[in-house]
Amino acid sequence: MNKKIAIRAENLCKSFGDGDSLVEVIKNASFTINKGELIALIAPSGGGKTTLLMMIGCVEEPTSGKIRLGDETVYDDKWLTRETRKIRREKIGFIFQAHYLIPFLNIIDNLTLLPQANKIDEKTAKKKAEELLHYFGIADKAKAMPSQLSGGQNQRVAIARALVNNPQIILADEPTAALDMQRSVDVVKMLKQIAEEQEVAIIMVTHDDRMLPYCDRIMKIKNMATVFE
Amino acid sequence: MIHLAKEDIRHTLGKFIVTAMGVGMLLGIVLIMIGVYRGMIVDAEVLLNDLNVDLWIVQEGTLGPFAEASRVHDDLQYTIRSFQGIEKSGIITFQNIQLPKKKSKIRVFAVGYDVYGSISPINPARLTSGRPLKTDHYEIVVTDKTGFSLHDKIQLGRNIYTVVGITHGTVSSGGDLLVYISIKDAQELQFSYSNKRIQTDRARGIVNRDTHMVNAVIATVLPGYDTETVARNIHKWQHKSVYTKDRQRAVLTKYVVEKASKQIGMFTAILVIVATIIISLIIYTMTLEKMKEISIMKLMGLPNSMIVRMIVEETLLLGILAFIFGNIFSHLIYSKFPKRVVLEIPDAWILFGVVVVASIAASFVGVKKVINADPASAIGG
Repeated sequence: MNKKIAIRAENLCKSFGDGDSLVEVIKNASFTINKGELIALIAPSGGGKTTLLMMIGCVEEPTSGKIRLGDETVYDDKWLTRETRKIRREKIGFIFQAHYLIPFLNIIDNLTLLPQANKIDEKTAKKKAEELLHYFGIADKAKAMPSQLSGGQNQRVAIARALVNNPQIILADEPTAALDMQRSVDVVKMLKQIAEEQEVAIIMVTHDDRMLPYCDRIMKIKNMATVFE
Repeated sequence: MIHLAKEDIRHTLGKFIVTAMGVGMLLGIVLIMIGVYRGMIVDAEVLLNDLNVDLWIVQEGTLGPFAEASRVHDDLQYTIRSFQGIEKSGIITFQNIQLPKKKSKIRVFAVGYDVYGSISPINPARLTSGRPLKTDHYEIVVTDKTGFSLHDKIQLGRNIYTVVGITHGTVSSGGDLLVYISIKDAQELQFSYSNKRIQTDRARGIVNRDTHMVNAVIATVLPGYDTETVARNIHKWQHKSVYTKDRQRAVLTKYVVEKASKQIGMFTAILVIVATIIISLIIYTMTLEKMKEISIMKLMGLPNSMIVRMIVEETLLLGILAFIFGNIFSHLIYSKFPKRVVLEIPDAWILFGVVVVASIAASFVGVKKVINADPASAIGG
């Protein structure tokens, strides 16, 4: 078994409805993404990017196919575990278009929430969170509320949150959509650095072609299937 | 461990407290309603307890003066006194009268008793100033809420009465303020008529209307005698309805305050339901406001139990805080009510139990929303 493989999808299909109202969104998508890779996922609006991301993220159940995350097959024409939420909690990190931090938790609590749900003791969780804040240059904001931080700072906290559970995979849904050009480049460079340093596979949905040069590979959805450029 | 409910409440503390205060006022009204009912029971029993007699002998077939009209001759007291087991007996009259005060009139419940008799309805513990009646004419003892002072003069019928005593906390079973007058004055007020009325009655052939009537004869039983047996004997030989203190109390609660208590009970139940619905709506709205965060938490993989716990804890805290505010509110305003409001700790604890159960029930709407929240909605803007 190749220890470098983070995600392997085989003949992944997803359709909604049935009969005359059947809509196929993804059809026989097969791809492999290695640890340490930053992949740009591009497709026109309604092209199935979010659906693909949701399937890999164990949120949306595929219609058929096979998904392997690291050394664990999670889907083989059916979920192989009842606890898809646990897989997300332990193996996957999410980054959204906006930071979507929990507004009533301060920065450090936003970061330690997930580890504590994973039964990691508070002290260890806090240490990890502080390391990440230090890494992202916002260690002094630990006690601040998200509303007290700038958009760029909040997005860095959101990226730190995605990393806090030591995920194998990070799924980023247009993480630069709300940022200006310079900040967008900074974020993508940061993601690239994280992917390499932490051996994490990152799939980043983007509409911004200017971000593509910073990615390792570009995955396109064409005719409902995935192709690499 | 991060306490989501605590952090969320801290984030919107002002809003949460104001909401709890609003619901608390509603719960305060529930407490007041229960207090009004308790007050009615206490009021209903004031006279019964102050008299503290064992037997009430009333007109046959009636339930006694607390529930309906009853008339017996005043000399019946002497007959009753001769029964074996009777310690002492007395006579009593009840009537509603209007006391003139400045330009208005105050409705009061006048108790007439034998000033020279051995049974007095005036509880010395309630007499805050002055004295009980000493003569059997033109003296009156009033309760403080009538607003009269010692030595005030009050015109009643054709005579002027002097206030000789002031009592506190004395009301009739109907909640009217109590005053005490002598039996002779009471009979005159109740059974005497104007000269014109007497002339008319004579013209109709009605003569010598008997004014020596009272509403009840009351008696105490000697120690060692069974009250029920004595009551049965009196009923057997005198053809009068005889009630023990406990049966008279039952009459009071069953016939006098039963409907009122049902009415208040209905109001209380409706208010509790309304409070539950309001708490449900507040929690639903609070949950709706957090739907994006809830979807994100679910997407990140947080277990439902963690999010549900937040909702349930917030609802419970809202209910408990509202209960505390309700208690403060009710204790601040209860004395302003014209009738007696009795706030009892056991009632508050029962309401607390109801609030906890209602809060848990109310949290279901929020919990349902959490369980049905789609984590996928967190992605895609």
